[in-house]
Amino acid sequence: MKPVKALIADDEPLLRERLRAHLAVLWPDLVLTDDARNGTEALELFAAHRPDIVFLDIRMPGMNGIDTARALARSAHLVFVTAYEQYAVQAFDQGAVDYLVKPVDRMRLADTVERLKRQLPGSAHDHAAMAATLDRLAARLGHRAATPARWLQWIKASVGNSVRLIPVEQVHFLRAEEKYTRVVWDEGEALIRKTIRELADQLDPERFVQTHRSVIVNLASVREVVRGMNETADLHLRNGGEVLPVSRSYLHHFRQM
Amino acid sequence: MTRPTSLRFPISACLPARRHAAVVTAFTLLLSLPLHRISGSPYLEVFGHVGCVGAILLVAYSAAVALRPRWLGPRLARLAAIVLAAPVAVLVTFLIAQRGNVVAFLLKPQSQTAYVAMVIMALLFGVPFSLIAMRSERRQRERADRLQIELEKNRLERELLDVRLRMLHAQIEPHFLFNTLANIEALVASGSPNAAPVLRHLIAYLRAAMPRVNDADATLETELQLVRSYLELMRLRMPDRLRFAVAAPPAAALRFPPMALLTLVENAVRHGIDPSVDGGEIDVGGRCDPRTGAMTLWVSDTGVGMPETATPGTGLSNLRSRLHGFYGDTARVDLHEVAPHGVRVELHFQLKERA
Repeated sequence: MKPVKALIADDEPLLRERLRAHLAVLWPDLVLTDDARNGTEALELFAAHRPDIVFLDIRMPGMNGIDTARALARSAHLVFVTAYEQYAVQAFDQGAVDYLVKPVDRMRLADTVERLKRQLPGSAHDHAAMAATLDRLAARLGHRAATPARWLQWIKASVGNSVRLIPVEQVHFLRAEEKYTRVVWDEGEALIRKTIRELADQLDPERFVQTHRSVIVNLASVREVVRGMNETADLHLRNGGEVLPVSRSYLHHFRQM
Repeated sequence: MTRPTSLRFPISACLPARRHAAVVTAFTLLLSLPLHRISGSPYLEVFGHVGCVGAILLVAYSAAVALRPRWLGPRLARLAAIVLAAPVAVLVTFLIAQRGNVVAFLLKPQSQTAYVAMVIMALLFGVPFSLIAMRSERRQRERADRLQIELEKNRLERELLDVRLRMLHAQIEPHFLFNTLANIEALVASGSPNAAPVLRHLIAYLRAAMPRVNDADATLETELQLVRSYLELMRLRMPDRLRFAVAAPPAAALRFPPMALLTLVENAVRHGIDPSVDGGEIDVGGRCDPRTGAMTLWVSDTGVGMPETATPGTGLSNLRSRLHGFYGDTARVDLHEVAPHGVRVELHFQLKERA
């Protein structure tokens, strides 16, 4: 009979070794391939060794355990290994997927080994249920991770010999100056390469409005709007200083103010 | 006449309290009744005299504190005002009653007796009334003080609760704790000599992260020890991906908001090093300009860096306000990009006590 092969994927070396040691005792015939340190390596090693079982850590750098599982689900028995994922465990408990919590308990691992031996040779999983569980997991973990914002949250600007990351809420206004754009914020000003047009698309329109071909202003910084001639206006800012122009085509932003 | 608030005193502080005015009015109305019976004079006339004296004493009582000389305490001032005002009040009352013919009036021995009797009566009632009024005012003040203390206590309790919640919920992440314990279990199981030192690092980290009633003994030195413990634990978990250096602090004994640097280091690991397949280096350090007392502390990483659309967590703004609380409004938190990838966070503030 062909020996059963397994692959361990975990970014923490001590935990890989510990799982190896447990398995050596509980399942001496199991052949362990080289370990994977992340999802990408897991896929490479899987392609090279075609293991029957994959032990997958959920949080790994690069490709995480869930995405790796999606790629592997049809071709191997999967066992997730996780330290503490409250939401993930809920998803697991609905069946379909084997899981272990770290530190791995030997009795619990023995149960898993028995189950795997019974299932093995045979089709890996109920694919539909597996896919549903992975979707739930991905949704839960994705929900917990900071969802990337659509709008620019930081402006990168060279100040001296360093690149400052300026939080947009500290920016008062941005104004085109020849080839550059000048950023004025709480602590000073700097020139950046992004154009007003690019910035107008990238900044949250709830907080920043373009008032002129060459000017974008943070609405929170505006103290008052002074109407001028010919459907134009001047913006006076809270901290004094520069008066910004509002041209006719952008005046509608301030009709309500 | 019995409505002293209608008197035009220049300073509103001299005006009697409404409650005192009501008491004096009621009492003089009452007192006039037996006097009217004894003297046989019409009730309104008696009340005119008694009420006038009462009103003048009341104003004297009320104005005494505001108008007293500095060396005189408020209680003594009030008593002195009553004692001095009593003969004057009676004189004024007679002056009004006699339409100015007071000298002729007072030459009669009968009137002199009346005058003395009236002054004695004024003192007899005025002094105890003042004492009672002062005692009730003191009680009121004490009640207000107690209320104030109670409010302050509530506020402190709320803040403490907030600190506890912050520490328990945000700081000791269960994932971190169980993963670290799993690593220690692996060390113990394999009989590694590293097990004990690693456990000590975990204990140091947990002790620092536990809610504390008193942050007063937190210094930059203890903060950097905490940072080292945390980084040692993380290096155990990702030995091939994490390198770090923590420099000796320039002002070790400086009082420092606990967990302020640790939060930055945790962010550097979580968002910089952990997502990176190749890992990176974390550098924690500081310098102090001995002439100006300008202090700079930094946490720098060579991790994956931060996308321009990354939503800033509440950690940074919390950190900013805690630094303001500790070192004043000139304290700043700056973020810089590290080339080719990574983030450097700098804390700038002014040392209060210059070394």
